[in-house]
Amino acid sequence: MPRRHSRFVRIFGTIVFAVVTVLFAALIVNAFMNGGKPLTTLVPKGPSAQSIQNLVLPVFAIAGVVFVGVMGAVVFISWKFRETDEDDPEEFPEQVHGRTVLEIGWTILPALILAGVAVGTVVTLLELNKKDPEAIQVEVTGQQWWWQYKYDLNGDGNFDGAEDITTATEMVIPAGRPIEVTTTSNDVIHSFWIPGLNGKKDAVPGLHSPLKLEADDPGVFRGQCTEYCGLSHANMRMLVRALPSEEYDAWVKNQLKGHEAQPSGELAKEGRKTWESLCAQCHVIKGINDAKIKDNPPPLVSGVAPDLTHLMTRGTFAGSIFNLYADVQSTSPNSNGDQLGTDPTDVAAAGNPGAALTGGKVDEATVNRTALEAWLRNPPAQKPMYAQGGRGMPNLGLTEVQIDQLVAFLTTLN
Amino acid sequence: MALTEARPLALPSGEEDTIERPGGVFARPTASRGWRSWVTTVDHKKIGIMYGATALAFLMIGGLEALLIRLQLWAPRGTLLSADLYNQVYTMHGTTMVFLVVMPIGACFANYLMPLQIGARDVAFPRINAFSYWCYLFGGVFLNTSWLLGGGADGGWFNYAPNNGVIFSPSHGIDFWNLGLIITGIASLTGAVNLIVTVLNMRAPGMTLMKMPVFTWMTLVTQFLLLFAIPVLTAAQVLLMMDRLFDANFFNVAKGANPLLWQHLFWVFGHPEVYLMILPAFGLVSEMLPVFSRKPIFGYPFIVFSGVAIGFMGFGVWAHHMFVSGIGPISVTTFSLTTMFIAVPTGVKILNWTATMWGGKLRFTSPLLFSIGLVTMFTIGGLSGVTHAIAPADSQQTDTYYIVAHFHYVLFGGAFFGFVGAFYFYWPKAFGYMLNETLGKTNFWMMLLGFNLTFAPMHILGLQGMSRRVYTYDAGYGFELWNKVATIGAFILATSVLLFVFNIIYSKVKAKSLPPVGADPWDARTIEWMTPSPTPEYNYDPIPTVTRVDDFWYRKYGETKDGKLVRIAATDDVVQQRSDGKGIHLPSPSYWPIVAALGLPLVAYGLIFSLWLCLIGGIITVAGIYGWALEPPDDPDAAHEDHGPGGHTSDDGTAVEETTEALPEAEAEKEAETVG
Repeated sequence: MPRRHSRFVRIFGTIVFAVVTVLFAALIVNAFMNGGKPLTTLVPKGPSAQSIQNLVLPVFAIAGVVFVGVMGAVVFISWKFRETDEDDPEEFPEQVHGRTVLEIGWTILPALILAGVAVGTVVTLLELNKKDPEAIQVEVTGQQWWWQYKYDLNGDGNFDGAEDITTATEMVIPAGRPIEVTTTSNDVIHSFWIPGLNGKKDAVPGLHSPLKLEADDPGVFRGQCTEYCGLSHANMRMLVRALPSEEYDAWVKNQLKGHEAQPSGELAKEGRKTWESLCAQCHVIKGINDAKIKDNPPPLVSGVAPDLTHLMTRGTFAGSIFNLYADVQSTSPNSNGDQLGTDPTDVAAAGNPGAALTGGKVDEATVNRTALEAWLRNPPAQKPMYAQGGRGMPNLGLTEVQIDQLVAFLTTLN
Repeated sequence: MALTEARPLALPSGEEDTIERPGGVFARPTASRGWRSWVTTVDHKKIGIMYGATALAFLMIGGLEALLIRLQLWAPRGTLLSADLYNQVYTMHGTTMVFLVVMPIGACFANYLMPLQIGARDVAFPRINAFSYWCYLFGGVFLNTSWLLGGGADGGWFNYAPNNGVIFSPSHGIDFWNLGLIITGIASLTGAVNLIVTVLNMRAPGMTLMKMPVFTWMTLVTQFLLLFAIPVLTAAQVLLMMDRLFDANFFNVAKGANPLLWQHLFWVFGHPEVYLMILPAFGLVSEMLPVFSRKPIFGYPFIVFSGVAIGFMGFGVWAHHMFVSGIGPISVTTFSLTTMFIAVPTGVKILNWTATMWGGKLRFTSPLLFSIGLVTMFTIGGLSGVTHAIAPADSQQTDTYYIVAHFHYVLFGGAFFGFVGAFYFYWPKAFGYMLNETLGKTNFWMMLLGFNLTFAPMHILGLQGMSRRVYTYDAGYGFELWNKVATIGAFILATSVLLFVFNIIYSKVKAKSLPPVGADPWDARTIEWMTPSPTPEYNYDPIPTVTRVDDFWYRKYGETKDGKLVRIAATDDVVQQRSDGKGIHLPSPSYWPIVAALGLPLVAYGLIFSLWLCLIGGIITVAGIYGWALEPPDDPDAAHEDHGPGGHTSDDGTAVEETTEALPEAEAEKEAETVG
């Protein structure tokens, strides 16, 4: 039986051991470096995320101790009890078959530690599932590949009343107030996840599942669909804007308005005509085609396309993968070391609608026309979709003139 | 001319039977060498080797898919694969690795090793064993032909409803996935019944359940898991097949279906699945650690019972895959608690292995290195497992790369490290030559390096928010660095697997100039090491009588009262010498298992493309079963007429050990009849 390592194996093994040790150390250090990580789960920004963090940190610590203990023990044993060249191969170590006391000990000890963790888990679960009667009710509906948000503002249990809001892509909430989200889906299963505010909840067709959201402070929070939902699963993102209370009220007031007058400007007027002839088959602008589309639902599997009534109040579009504004703001819960790129394809930093968010005038200069035009030119090239199967937006073959008209019209939708 | 061998019942008068034998292509196969012998074999060792070789081939395919995934994720907005292709590649990577690589490697060892460990001549139903293998091969090949026939499945290996419906996945990929896995499911289920019966009925005299080697125990638990888990998956898949091919509405939400039904069915199978992938590796490590620590396994009954406990508890934790599916707080709490406590028996195993090494005299061979690799890497996977047993934490972690890191630490760092170690360990037993040790150790260190570089960064990627199953990610989320590290690691890992393959060839060539390896090259403990290397077709001649755990070890060594070990016999005196095997009744080779299995993929193609093919496939399978049913399991001519002078032993466990006296002829005949 071979007894010795060759010299090469000795050196190579030592190098690997060192590299792996350094790797683990680097990873542990990196876990504390969450600047410029918009989706990190390690920097809670709301009470629910905080109670998860409070539970999980001690568990990570215990796991860390066990990890170091087992690794240390194995390395120590491997070194201490290795066979050396001086050892007599016919001499054997003491033949121990087992120790019942030890076995019972290391069965009970982990069980006790886990029992402690279990208590914390149950307490946290109760806390996370507590209902708040004051909470704002929002129904979040996933579909391939974007999110719709409906607000039941008058608390009558109906999300489609005249006093309620329907919006898409971005969710706006008041900071410091609890939101009771109800997730559901119009097609396949998705998962709604804003890591800074809470864990995730699947959006299952036919089910309505509750999830509490609350942001401690105003800010912009990113999310990503986490249940595989088909072709463009990777391109299904969320964005939550937590606003100060007064600003939220102004946002609500603006959202309740429909599209009122004809847009000013010839180009925008033509754009509206184009919109009504091509886009209105699926999309809705309250005040233009909301009544009509109830009788002729869109030819889509999910039965609905994003509501565009207040498009320009959003900083992002197309499942929150493109910035509608070239002016961006940080989405990272820990903004130390954030780099706010100016690259309009970089949506880790979200487009900033500025005053348009609450219905103010759209600052034309900051609109990300490049991204919007590229989208209108050929949507499936920008984001993989199955338009031919009624899932996603088709290439409408718009002319450049039509695109200019549409952009002129769309940018009036504040 | 008869198509099958017709044999009347033995006449009490002892009158000669007239046996009508089939001729031409229907003649019973007799080849013992060459490709024919592999196609028609019912020998558990050959079947085990075929399982292993096929699994290694599929490993290359699954590994290639893994490398494509890693290349796509090398940098933000990767363009190597389209979204559609990426979704197919990751689905097929998971499916291939689970169903066509890890499970079959477990089956490879169960087949090759378990009958040897219990002192049997073969499994209880040798032809069913062959049938299982062919179902696995044909199912796996069928599944992979989807690449050539319209694209692979794109629903993920978990294939959730309703995304698995025709509306959402109009290509045939998911049909291939569905039907292919039903066929490999037949392989697993028939294999499970076969191996359970074998363990329970065919152990050598004296081998009570608590004297079985740990690997045999873990095989038994694994097969029970398969027995109860696979039918659930098959049931779900039949429902899905009805939905997709015959417009049924089992998972159609519009018609009132609850899509969580699929999830419950899938995970009732899927979680025991995890344990049935890892338990064989646990068993193998429990064989290797004592040999190279030169001490008995620490706490044999605790190791065994914690394995059994894992098996039972494995059926009570499935909904931890569904913590965020909307199953309600009571269910979440219940499954959170059950999941946490499954860590206890797992921890017991880790500690027992550590205690086995404690105070030993460790010989750092390749199998020991890989075993230590399993103990440490699996510990990491186990600990991250505990962190997401805690449901609130899981609501942040699930479906992120943290989970990807976790289960690769369990299934690669755990199961696969154990398997590779066991390949090094059992290679001389199976093939009669040792794998090169320097290459083996290099193999280990390279695999450890590549594995950790690939999967350790995924913990951080997940905790910092990278979602699973995404074909692209944007710059600015902080994912760039660790994805690059992971991709580099994946290529080192792939190189280490190729190094293993190279070692097989290199060592085979080198072995020609080396002395033949003896029966017991590692100074091992269990009775399979008593057989000559490579193991002869009949395994044992005679069947040994077992008196205790590690029986072979205690034929070589005795233990004094104070735990000292003294040699009582030279190894050469206690191992068995190669005999001519005359007079040993072995089940005869048969064409029928492969024929019966061959019809199944044709039926599956038929369901997808044209029902006429189903008819042809059905006829072939029925013909195979018909021929099989009418063919006696052993050829009366094969060993019967060659009874040597006094060399006749029974193939049944009741035979007296080391006897050279022939049992009464008639009784031996009767025993032979039960094989089949």
